[in-house]
Amino acid sequence: MQAISERFKISPFLVFFAVSSMQIGIGVLGYQRIIAKSAGYDAWISVILAGIAGHITLWMMYSILQKTNGSIVETNQQIFGKLIGNILNLLLALYYTALVVGVLRTYIEVVQVWMFPDLKIEVLAAAFMLLTIYIVLGGFRAVVGVCFFSIILPSYLILTFVYTFEYANFRMLLPIFDHSILDILKATKDMTLTILGFETLFIYYPFIKNAGQSKKWAHLAILSTTLIYVVITVITFAFFSEKQLQKHIWATLSMWKIVEMPFIERFEYLGIATWTIVILPNICLAAWCASRIVKQVVNIQQKYALIVLSVICTVAVCLIKTRENVNLLNDMLGYVGFYFLYGFVPFIFILLHIIHKVRKKG
Amino acid sequence: MFNWFSKKQNKQKQTSSFNTTSELLHVLAQSMDFEKQTFTNSHSQQRFWVSYIVPLVDFEIVQKNILPYLLHSPIETLDDIKQMIPVEDIIITSDVTTAEEKMHEGYLIVQFHEFASEGALIKAQRNVIRNVSIPEVEFSVVGPKETFLESLEINLHLLRKRIPCNKLTVKILKIGKLSKTKIAIIYLKGIADEENVNTVTQRISEIDFDQITDSSYIVQLISDNQKSPFPQLLDTERPDRVAAILAEGKVAIIVDGSPHALIGPTTLVEFFSSFEDYFLNWYIASFFRLIRLFSVAFSVLITPIYVATLNYHYELIPKDLLGTLITSRREIPFPPILEALFLELTIELLREAGARLPTKVGQTIGIVGGIVIGTASVEAGLTSNVLLILVALAALASFTTPVYKMGNTIRLMRFPFLLFAEFWGLLGVVFCFCFLMGHLLQLTSLGRPFLEPIYPLRVTDLKDALIRLPFSQQSKRPQHLRPEQPIRFSKKKAKQKKDIDE
Repeated sequence: MQAISERFKISPFLVFFAVSSMQIGIGVLGYQRIIAKSAGYDAWISVILAGIAGHITLWMMYSILQKTNGSIVETNQQIFGKLIGNILNLLLALYYTALVVGVLRTYIEVVQVWMFPDLKIEVLAAAFMLLTIYIVLGGFRAVVGVCFFSIILPSYLILTFVYTFEYANFRMLLPIFDHSILDILKATKDMTLTILGFETLFIYYPFIKNAGQSKKWAHLAILSTTLIYVVITVITFAFFSEKQLQKHIWATLSMWKIVEMPFIERFEYLGIATWTIVILPNICLAAWCASRIVKQVVNIQQKYALIVLSVICTVAVCLIKTRENVNLLNDMLGYVGFYFLYGFVPFIFILLHIIHKVRKKG
Repeated sequence: MFNWFSKKQNKQKQTSSFNTTSELLHVLAQSMDFEKQTFTNSHSQQRFWVSYIVPLVDFEIVQKNILPYLLHSPIETLDDIKQMIPVEDIIITSDVTTAEEKMHEGYLIVQFHEFASEGALIKAQRNVIRNVSIPEVEFSVVGPKETFLESLEINLHLLRKRIPCNKLTVKILKIGKLSKTKIAIIYLKGIADEENVNTVTQRISEIDFDQITDSSYIVQLISDNQKSPFPQLLDTERPDRVAAILAEGKVAIIVDGSPHALIGPTTLVEFFSSFEDYFLNWYIASFFRLIRLFSVAFSVLITPIYVATLNYHYELIPKDLLGTLITSRREIPFPPILEALFLELTIELLREAGARLPTKVGQTIGIVGGIVIGTASVEAGLTSNVLLILVALAALASFTTPVYKMGNTIRLMRFPFLLFAEFWGLLGVVFCFCFLMGHLLQLTSLGRPFLEPIYPLRVTDLKDALIRLPFSQQSKRPQHLRPEQPIRFSKKKAKQKKDIDE
């Protein structure tokens, strides 16, 4: 594998944006109902737990990557050999592709429900994938640039939650620890889809200058997204009653409805439009990762891999027609993501440590 | 390897189109503005032939400094000419190429024999240039009031006067098969990054073009991305601005015959900073910069947002405001997009007509067009007056960009936004913005990122980007230029604070 030129690498602190922008995606618009289903209004604890679990996984990922001094593609090849390793790698590529499809399809679903009921899925999906191709062709730095702006530009949206304080009742969170540990853990599992995304680090790790320094930034990113999630969760729980919340699929969007300024009402329209910038890095970075894996495994140029993957994604998005299928896809993604983060990563982590120990002795 | 050979052969062919000086003079004589005269020296009775291209020669020099000495001094050989004639540049040569080049620059050739190959080239250039005038494109109320001219020598003089320093280095290249335009690359040695200088030098020397008329040709020929609507080199007509950026460690390019210097590497935010920002107090300068930034965003987005909201999202508009909008649009037979396109194109027409006409007529056109067409189209029920206000404001806002070329780009940018707004409402506007963002992220200027210092984020460079901090904070040169000498002055001294009554 040839070394990556310094020109294409990013500064360590940009990892903060790459990690947090990947985490904040379509999940934020409606995760509250799902976690409240099992853990009720104690679910904010689950958000914190999920954040802690994320930190641990991230720590393991860094340990794995530092040991291999490359991407997960090389790790897999080292541990499992060329054949099985590459099969695993292609599965990973499939996972990232599924991430693209999941994010894009869910976003289109939101647009259809809230903005344009008779929007053609095909057109928007194709347009989005064209945009993705255009950005990814600009290279990893351009992709991280999108990540950067997707945090900076929509950050004004945080302020809009101030409007909900007028109607919020924070006593609704009481009593604390009303649910069993098991319920809370189940909600933590349901949180996976929302905190998912930082596992792209597995692929872009070799693109970080002084990768060791980026560790603190990555942890800081997970910390801040967890904080944001906790704040949004608490505000949502204070704003909706528990029964009311179960009727709102996209609770965050519903909360925007009450924002009222002298020149603008019904803020959720602006919110959904702005969300384009938020989900764009999810799609771009995942597409970049998937195409990068394919390039490393199959040895074709990344741009062709990217174009082929984009076509596949467009077709896949168009094939998912109903709301049930979108839900199924998201559940699957959460499921796979859960086992990826808390099964696959620790497994590799332990395996790699054992192998290194054995080698040292030998 | 083979290519390299054939190139060299080509070059040789070009230079050896004439074998002897007399052949050259014969070819030149085919044009009627060529003159060949014979004189006889009164001392030595030596006859000599003087040939020159009439329009290029200054007769005052010929009559005062050349002819009297040629006729009345004791001249016997060509070397005597060099001794006797008080002109600073006299070349004695039998090389046809030099003779050809110099004669096209306004040199006389003096020969002792009509068909001799050897001759003395005497400089008698005529320079027709206007006087140094006040800046019109980048006018500033306070500050220096001189501009570059169409002459490279004067432009370099204006710069040298501002930077009396032996670090100032000028590289001159000649580009253009027909025009042989002199292009000067100017930088401060030891401050500017050699890599930037090399990039510029290499790109300019690789230009293969016949006629370089203006520096804007160079911009288009050496830009990193020539398909982009964004200018990737800053152009300016102010010597003070060029002097300032040279001190920052940038590279300037001056093209002979063009009153605009080019500056690189540049960034997007630099296009929105007027040079007057440095003449004003930093609070005021920062405020104006923010105003400009806001006005650019406003100018690009307001009509698309109007089209998007009125087409799809009227729920966004509060009840009271909606009443006003409905009243103004009640009579309009067109959908918002047609209305907006109509007004935008009208403004473009006015701008274009105003720009092509002489100043005085242009003003009249502006007033007539702006007021008459505007009011009339509202009264006729073709457009709503709310949109008229928005479009006029947007046009005004787009003119706040200090760099003309960037202003044009911004005016063009709203049309794709309008189109997307018509298709997908606000979603389309944001989508189009994402495309713009993706494009800007990929742009580079001389290989340096165009969006710097915003992305890649360099906090230290933000001191002179969206806002301008006071001079005491500007002790370091911008990081993105990778200057060889990053420190401009001692920060300690600038920040020294005195105690009470000290």
